[in-house]
Amino acid sequence: MAHDALFHAKTMGLNTVFTDHSLFGFADVSSVLTNKLLTVTLCDTNHTVCVSYTSKENTVLRATLNPEIVSVIPNAVDPTDFTPDPSQRQDDRITIVVISRLVYRKGIDLLGGIIPELCLKHPDLHFLIGGEGPKRIVLEEVREKYQLHDRVRLLGALEHKDVRGVLVQGHIFLNTSLTEAFCMAIVEGASCGLQVVSTRVGGIPEVLPEDLITLCEPTVRSLCAGLETVIARQRSGSVPSPYSIHACVQNLYTWRNVAERTEKVYDRVSREEVLPLHRRLRRLRSHCGPVAGSIFAFSAVLDFLFLLLLQWLVPDRVMDVAVDATGPHGLWRQEQSGEAGGTKQAAESDIS
Amino acid sequence: MEDEAFTDINGKAISLDCHSHSGFCREFTVSSPKVSVGKVMVYTCCVWLLAYTVFFFTQNTAVLSSAILITLVGMMFHIHFVKVDHESLLVIGSLGIQVSSCYASGRETTTFIEMSKIKDIVINEAIYMHQIIYYLCVLLKDPAEPKAVSSVVPLFQSSKPRLNCLVKVYKSCQEILSKC
Repeated sequence: MAHDALFHAKTMGLNTVFTDHSLFGFADVSSVLTNKLLTVTLCDTNHTVCVSYTSKENTVLRATLNPEIVSVIPNAVDPTDFTPDPSQRQDDRITIVVISRLVYRKGIDLLGGIIPELCLKHPDLHFLIGGEGPKRIVLEEVREKYQLHDRVRLLGALEHKDVRGVLVQGHIFLNTSLTEAFCMAIVEGASCGLQVVSTRVGGIPEVLPEDLITLCEPTVRSLCAGLETVIARQRSGSVPSPYSIHACVQNLYTWRNVAERTEKVYDRVSREEVLPLHRRLRRLRSHCGPVAGSIFAFSAVLDFLFLLLLQWLVPDRVMDVAVDATGPHGLWRQEQSGEAGGTKQAAESDIS
Repeated sequence: MEDEAFTDINGKAISLDCHSHSGFCREFTVSSPKVSVGKVMVYTCCVWLLAYTVFFFTQNTAVLSSAILITLVGMMFHIHFVKVDHESLLVIGSLGIQVSSCYASGRETTTFIEMSKIKDIVINEAIYMHQIIYYLCVLLKDPAEPKAVSSVVPLFQSSKPRLNCLVKVYKSCQEILSKC
């Protein structure tokens, strides 16, 4: 649907920005076709935003983009929402929390291999697994086979508001994804003061500093070794306190920072020009290859004719333009403090 | 007292009448265009032609009489329940506001909202079918809980005036509401 919206926006003469959140492959037929579609969509998009440098590399290669027009703006986490609470933990045992969709992509098969090995070696180890998905059956089988009903808890699908409550019950956060552009979950786990163990894939090495995360190869043996080191550290008590970890993460990623950077991108894009139809057709045909380029150039022409029809049916002058949300003379900008009195007076003066 | 050229969201002309009864009592009436005779004729002719074509093939006179009945009943239903002639908003400072709709047949529906229940009158945006429109609405509050908005009552729902008309009504209402 994003591709659809971008296509129509360019026909209407609006500046466009595309944000990519995931990594995709190059190998199989479906990937080749999807990448071609992406090339067509992004060839005349003004700017692209990716969530990590790995994601930028992936998107640039997939869509043959100019790297100058790709910005990296990572996601953030709300530190007031994800605060640590060591009182919720049970100190007679070590709890490992996993919260993810239970699908192949998230490495649930690896988790199924880690659980029996570690539970055998450490009698006080417990697993708390939140999330739903088709791979839940793998975990249930493992639990049945090794009789770990009291040590492995499967919580099922969690509401967003319940995630923090589950995270603070653990000592260690485990992420076993096989591919990830930017992992929000590990930032949330670290914000709640947990030790993070994760696979070294995609953009994960860029997310947290070395002292807050333990990275492993995406194999059962490497993950077990990594977890063993963290468990030993936890037992000896040489881990930093949850509050210090939270304080560190709080300054790393803030939504204000993300908003400022995104605003800079939008300000830059709003000054650029949009390609008119003939230049757009020429760019599609030259950049995207003979076959795909011609097909989409034809669609662009059809889209333009459709736009003319719609403009005749529902004329532009009938629609109200969006009111400037900063208010008359920028009265409602964030820097200003007075709210109720200011808005009433602002409403009195002429808005249009 | 003014009557500039306002339109509704579909581009049809409407008229706004602002009447100031006293310093703290104002009435705003938005009038929609009347039922057009041309449209009625076109609909009636289409239905009757269709009925005649069916009669031509089936030779059943019940089709013709039922078409006449349907047209009559349909027209009566439309002007009594669907077609709004004008909608008015009466604001009386420190007493309340009265919202009334007058239909083409003369039927009138009225609602009164007392001032203790009114939090504010604001212009809000909404997604209506395939477009985003501005509408004027009353924010209601529960007198026991003055900070929370309990419900929203949209105004001028049938005439749906555009932003320039709404801004005029809004400014006038706010003058009265801010005094009480």
